[in-house]
Amino acid sequence: MGALHEHGDRPVAVTAAGIGKHYDLGELENLRRTLRKLTRRDTARPPGLEALSDVDFTIWRGEAVAFLGTNGSGKSTLLQLLTGTTLPTRGVMQVHGRVLPLLAVGLGFHPELTGHENVLLFASSLGIDRATIEARMDDVTAFAELDRHMDTPVKRYSSGMVSRLSFAIAVQFPADIYIFDEVLAVVDGEFQERCLAEIKRLHAGGRTVIFVSHHHHQVIDVCERALWLDRGRLVAEGPAGEVTAAYEQALHASAA
Amino acid sequence: MTQGYSTTSATETSTTPAFAPLVDPTVRTATPAKRRLRVRDVLTQGPIISVLASRDFKVKYKQSLLGPVWLVFQPVALLVAFLVAFRGLGKVATSGVPYVVFTLVGLSAWTFFQASMTIGSSSLLTNATFVRYTPCPRSAFPIAGVIASLPAFVVTALAAVVGAAVTGVLSVRVLLLPFGLLWLLILTLGAVGIAASLAVRYRDVIQALPFLLSVGVFFAPIGYSLAGLSPFMRTVVELNPITGIIEAWRWMLVASYRPSMTAVTVSLVVTVVVAIIGWRVFSGREPTMADVI
Repeated sequence: MGALHEHGDRPVAVTAAGIGKHYDLGELENLRRTLRKLTRRDTARPPGLEALSDVDFTIWRGEAVAFLGTNGSGKSTLLQLLTGTTLPTRGVMQVHGRVLPLLAVGLGFHPELTGHENVLLFASSLGIDRATIEARMDDVTAFAELDRHMDTPVKRYSSGMVSRLSFAIAVQFPADIYIFDEVLAVVDGEFQERCLAEIKRLHAGGRTVIFVSHHHHQVIDVCERALWLDRGRLVAEGPAGEVTAAYEQALHASAA
Repeated sequence: MTQGYSTTSATETSTTPAFAPLVDPTVRTATPAKRRLRVRDVLTQGPIISVLASRDFKVKYKQSLLGPVWLVFQPVALLVAFLVAFRGLGKVATSGVPYVVFTLVGLSAWTFFQASMTIGSSSLLTNATFVRYTPCPRSAFPIAGVIASLPAFVVTALAAVVGAAVTGVLSVRVLLLPFGLLWLLILTLGAVGIAASLAVRYRDVIQALPFLLSVGVFFAPIGYSLAGLSPFMRTVVELNPITGIIEAWRWMLVASYRPSMTAVTVSLVVTVVVAIIGWRVFSGREPTMADVI
């Protein structure tokens, strides 16, 4: 932190400088490849993909920011870097504080464990201490509307119940940066509204929110600012309404 | 590169909410590093390791009529099998150790190693969604797999100690047993670290391990003693690092027991080497695990 990163009176939540991410394409290992390596006929690097190149941005603490882009634009890779599950191939990214990611619904739930046990497991995996978890358990249960089901193994939950529990964890625990990756699409209207309201409440409380959605009215509703990714490059950033409009226009232009 | 739009303007600042103080003051820096895990990171993972270990332990007995009774039943059944197999073939020279105690010591060390390897080496694969999508520290999964195998071990090891006490052969060296357990833990964690991190990229590990473990049991002096082997077979068995641990534990437990110093030395050296390699392989592969799993 320090004076360099100040923006008005706001400290930064995330800085990214020159971020690049390379992936190898194709099957990583198979017998044919092993044989070719042994007979030294395969010295070339496998074909690769630059999922991200030269991405620079800053997210200020307390901001709600959206990432826009089509499938394959690098959004998910960027969210994985923010979450810390992978490292960039080039560049430096700094993330301040605890990240609470909801990259897909029901991830990391163990089917044999009960709802209560799964909440404990998932929240612990984020580094939240036991006392805080138990203190928030009633709020999680209430938000997910699962009060009679928390002692039932998750394998007997309906998919709606699993998504509600996922969301409850993602919005009811204390964190500095909340990440939502196209997850609102899987829940029904009424619960979706409650989730949106909860995300806006987190933002109003001064938490940083990073939001990905193909429903642009939600993006404009939740976020102040949007960053537009195209084939791994950041092509535009600015107020959510303007960038979303420009992005939609580009989508229509390419479709026409 | 950014183009076309400026960032936030001054008028917007008044409408945006204030920022909240950090819940967690840590700053994480991500660069193209070859290695990012430090030993002290692992030392702070106690809470998540204990939650994962209790999950791994609980899941074993879910939807089971007998539940934790299996903890006792399995070693008893194994012991009976060993008694029938080896005792039935002839007298085993145990240098004064009651045969049941002799076998229980071997069984406790081996079954712990086997169970830990089985759960631990596949732990990153069974938790692949955590590895790919959550900031959960990866080292917690194999460690939890090893810890989850401890309760079954304690049952067998206690039976061995009680057996030695009841038959009056118990040595005061039993006080050294915690160090004996630490020794086995370090060897096991090192081996699990290697297997688990290689399995993320090379599924061959998952194919090879059950085979290696089921063959390995014949090359550990669990039901037979080193004294009864031909010189060649004795050397082969002494090279198994578990052999030295079993020998040392018998020495700790039984006053009259004389362990094979070759086996003990081999095992100590192998333990140190495996622990170092295990740490290096694991921490070196940890940054790319989400990319190649």
